[in-house]
Amino acid sequence: MAFSKNSGAGHRGLQESMYSVISLVFILVACVELCDAAAAIDVYRLIEYDISGSAFGSRFAALNHHAASLHFPSGADLSRTVLIIPLRELNITFVRVFNSGNGGNKQVHEKEKLKNLLAELERLLIHANLPYPVYFAFENDEIDTVLTDIKKNDAIGQPATATTGGYKLVIPTPEPKKVASPTIANIQGWLSGLKADGDTNQLPTIAIVASYDTFGAAPALSVGSDSNGSGIVALLEIARLFSLLYSNPKTRGKYNLLFGLTSGGPYNYNGTQKWLRSFDQRLRESIDYAICLNSIGSWDNELWIHVSKPPENAYIKQIFEGFSNVAEELDIKVGLKHKKINISNPRVAWEHEQFSRLRVTAATLSEIPVAPELLESTGGLFDSRQFVNETVITRGVKLVAESLARHIYGHQGKNVQIFADGGSLAVNPAYVQSWLDLLSRTPRVAPFLSKNDPFVMALKKELADHTDEVNLQHDILEGMFTFYDSTSAILNIYQVASVTFDLLSLLALGSYLIVLFCFLVITTRGLDDLISLFRRPPSRKVKTA
Amino acid sequence: MTMFHFFNCAILTFGPHAVYYSATPLSEYDTLGTSVKAAVVYLGTALVKLVCLATFLQVSENDGFDPYQELLKALIGFIDVAGLYFALTQLTHRNISQNHKFQAVGLGWAFADSVLHRLAPLWVGARGLEFTWDYILQGLEANANLVLSISLAALASLIWLRKNKPKTLIPIIYACAGIVATMPSITSYLRRGLGWYFPKVVGFELFTSLVMAFISWQLFSACQRPSA
Repeated sequence: MAFSKNSGAGHRGLQESMYSVISLVFILVACVELCDAAAAIDVYRLIEYDISGSAFGSRFAALNHHAASLHFPSGADLSRTVLIIPLRELNITFVRVFNSGNGGNKQVHEKEKLKNLLAELERLLIHANLPYPVYFAFENDEIDTVLTDIKKNDAIGQPATATTGGYKLVIPTPEPKKVASPTIANIQGWLSGLKADGDTNQLPTIAIVASYDTFGAAPALSVGSDSNGSGIVALLEIARLFSLLYSNPKTRGKYNLLFGLTSGGPYNYNGTQKWLRSFDQRLRESIDYAICLNSIGSWDNELWIHVSKPPENAYIKQIFEGFSNVAEELDIKVGLKHKKINISNPRVAWEHEQFSRLRVTAATLSEIPVAPELLESTGGLFDSRQFVNETVITRGVKLVAESLARHIYGHQGKNVQIFADGGSLAVNPAYVQSWLDLLSRTPRVAPFLSKNDPFVMALKKELADHTDEVNLQHDILEGMFTFYDSTSAILNIYQVASVTFDLLSLLALGSYLIVLFCFLVITTRGLDDLISLFRRPPSRKVKTA
Repeated sequence: MTMFHFFNCAILTFGPHAVYYSATPLSEYDTLGTSVKAAVVYLGTALVKLVCLATFLQVSENDGFDPYQELLKALIGFIDVAGLYFALTQLTHRNISQNHKFQAVGLGWAFADSVLHRLAPLWVGARGLEFTWDYILQGLEANANLVLSISLAALASLIWLRKNKPKTLIPIIYACAGIVATMPSITSYLRRGLGWYFPKVVGFELFTSLVMAFISWQLFSACQRPSA
């Protein structure tokens, strides 16, 4: 065209600018093509994992189907639909019946006191093998409007398919892949006790341990405020109080204090085992006893001390008496529960059992009266901030700290309040609350935490503030568990028109254009011309005679 | 909503132009060159209008109707008319009758307008999964615009190309030309000032375009009659 008339150099320059313009247009077109959905919502996927090869959880991630609600007409084919179920309308028996190959399933979670329903649902989903994607989402206005629309359509008896229009839900994620070598990170902090000059013996050690990771139906939502956010907060506060005491040589006790934040809790306390195995034999023998904290955030008046050595054991008696004395003063009831360890059974229900297997005296302080099953009480969907009470945690901290202090400073049985309220060593409720709030916003499922996860680094730094020496131990989570990634995605909801609509509009447009054509021909050239268009031109085989 | 919908909206938007060209005697007299030249003139006019708008107009935060801004936009809209004048009178056309000249120029003008204003949104928007009525309404608007452009070209050719007009009809011609030329401002006032919804605006455009086409047709045939 006009460009070819340019001379050589100008031609090339023009061509280059043309190319850049064309590429710019393509980029613009590509960018603008995204985000044209009616709504884009954050959704969180049900966990997918294997135990020794048996598959559990939701095995698929991508979604591209029409939406339906619970009011679908009976007998409708649900094999290529997505069910949107608000939690308040969920019937557990429905979910049980439903476990038989369907297109997709999406459940809407609500912030109401449906704790029991949620707990039961979670238990069901975790132990089921679902060959379709399951997602959780928070209810908001967009989903509400979409759902009411869908319910209206379903009530008419017109489930959405390709020919009748409706809503289409699309989650464009790739197939989930195995998480290769999931790491667990154990954080330990060491507070040295007062060693008298010339004393070569190793000081005895007291260990305080809490596991910090969680496991739940939706790993991106498993914040575990009670299990074990309360334990972590309590451990940090105890570390802070004792660091205050130990900072002054006059008040430094003759015990070393070892604080441990372990990972791998839900998986038979795998991390604790690795951590203990990494100890020097001498260090392990020097541990007088260990207190493990597990779920102390929502109790009323009763706490339990779980042990694996028989209660008649002298050490256990000593620990329990120490705790009971302080508990009486604080108006708390403390009970002792004994559960024997079975060495051949790989199931480790409490953290202290890992200590006991290595012959270290240990006990777990918890509000849970009975040993939980595998993957139970590990901080799931229902374990959110509103179910935890920080005053209760503060009381628990006071109980543990006072008991420890009385043992360390030899004030057993005496009515001495070291961490009295209002003093400089009082338990700080603001500290407890701020850490609890932070923990309730951070999902902490171990296989999905990266090696240098910022939260783990934050815990390490906090412990470093309160202790002399901090160590981070990385290890691989081995054993029977395998995990798959893709824990959250963005759901696009499109309002689509049916194929029949397109066909009808094509028909209408075609007839419109034909009518327009005929109209114009008639008005400008006359009717005869129109007719002559359709008649074949008469053959001009006029043979001359 | 998928390529099917894009195809439907495309033929709604651009089909009438092609149909108009092939149905009327324009195709017999091979007036494609005139249409193309008119389209190029429209391009130039659009660029000039853009520059003027950028220079003189202030961007307001709210989407309300500011009378002064709209007046300014209407004035700049008259550059359209100047462009049309240029296309009708200054460009050298082959020997085609005046009857066909204005049709060809109007057609080229409307086609360029549709391509510039409606092709890009159609390409980007109509192919997605989400369905809206916007693109079909846009196509209907393109149809109305075609009719309006041809009427404007007819009235313009009456004003500038025909020398002997009945005296009584001259003010009517100028009045109608003025109305058609300010159609864009009227529609934007309806949309912003009165808050009409898009379907209503498109309906109004279609109606007025038919009315104006009828009026200009009557005027044109009235001027065709040899004046006594």
